[in-house]
Amino acid sequence: MALRSRARSTRVLVVALVSISLVTITVDYREGTDGPLASLGDGALAVVSPLQEAVSKVTHPIGNFFSTLFRLPSIRRDRDVLRQRVDTLETQLAEGRADQARLAELEALIGVQESLGIRIETTGAQVIANGVSNFEWTITIDKGSSDGIHESMPVVASAGLVGHVVNVGTSSSVVQLIIDPDSSVAGRLDVSRQTGLLSGEGPADLQMSLVEPTVEVAPDEHVVTAGYRIAGVAESLYPPNVLIGTVSRVLDEDSATEKFLTVRPAVDFSSLSLVLVVLSRDTRG
Amino acid sequence: MRRALLLSAVILTALILQTTVFSEVNLLGAKPELMYLLTICFAILEGPSSGAITGFAGGMAQDFLLDAPKGITALTLTLLGYATGMARQYIVTPSPVLPVLLVGGGTFAGVVFYGIVSFLLGELSIGWLYLFRVALLSGLYNAILTPLVFPLLRRAAEGSRSRRVARW
Repeated sequence: MALRSRARSTRVLVVALVSISLVTITVDYREGTDGPLASLGDGALAVVSPLQEAVSKVTHPIGNFFSTLFRLPSIRRDRDVLRQRVDTLETQLAEGRADQARLAELEALIGVQESLGIRIETTGAQVIANGVSNFEWTITIDKGSSDGIHESMPVVASAGLVGHVVNVGTSSSVVQLIIDPDSSVAGRLDVSRQTGLLSGEGPADLQMSLVEPTVEVAPDEHVVTAGYRIAGVAESLYPPNVLIGTVSRVLDEDSATEKFLTVRPAVDFSSLSLVLVVLSRDTRG
Repeated sequence: MRRALLLSAVILTALILQTTVFSEVNLLGAKPELMYLLTICFAILEGPSSGAITGFAGGMAQDFLLDAPKGITALTLTLLGYATGMARQYIVTPSPVLPVLLVGGGTFAGVVFYGIVSFLLGELSIGWLYLFRVALLSGLYNAILTPLVFPLLRRAAEGSRSRRVARW
């Protein structure tokens, strides 16, 4: 008798908990990112992130050690490849001297242009945690709304484009990486100046679509952000001419309307530790 | 009261470990799912109602740190905790391998269920093949972690159990 009533009360409990979960899913789904549940989530982030920061300070070196061990074979391979690259680059360097004078001239021009028009204000941030789930590619940084961070601000690292802010707490925020399957970025091939759309593929290289099929693409060609601005209508999320990555493969799919490429990101997302958040930019001028 | 404190402490620890230490243990594109492991262990140790409560609390805690619709993990883990607890009552073998098998199978089923619910909500942005691979791998990793975690949780659960209630 007692057993049966316990089984019944367990069933009632499970039904209640399942109902609460379903209600939470529905409410949150309808309210999107502005509802009270979403702000509760931001609150939770604010509570947990100092703890995460403390723990990751201790464990990051240990984790680094083990991931280095695992990646030892590929590091060896990288070393051999890099040695070859050094040889070729040294030859190229000799050839490049002549171009340098020209480059300095161009740089001076860009410097002038910068001081006239484009002012970009950034803030540095430390990466304190990686994504929680297996299905999203995000990082958490130690700057939040109290440091002037807002949603959809672009984030870059020294190597290139990282992603944009999707979730802001008071002293920390979540950044969606460009390799997240939900992310897409307008990119431009460096040499041909042709644009295309880069979408995340998770652990694989980025896929670039909507490229003119007639364009000649060189292997290892650089891809930078396109950056567009239609006054009063739309503006690209990312500032123009930030390095995204290099073309790794040209997919030969028979399509008369577009060409597909895969692009290897310039940033190594597994070892990010310092990033820059672009706070504001003035594209007038 | 002591149970509630224990549960909160264990869940918070798991959440922080998941986001710091285990986020760097990314082998073959997947990582262990500590919250699944925790739920199944508590269900084995304490029965279906404790399993359901642990799953719900842990799932909610994890959901509020995700950018996905909140509640999916809570739903998955509530059902997972209940199902594992029920299944455990019908298995009488004292074999020490049982928790490992239950954790492996349960994690696989749970991750697939999570994927299906996300898909129904239009939130799943990855292919089915990738989902199955992640489910298999995280099941495997969790099974490997079980011999380390399970005895710890058993000791913690026994220590906090009220003395008056007879063991069954």
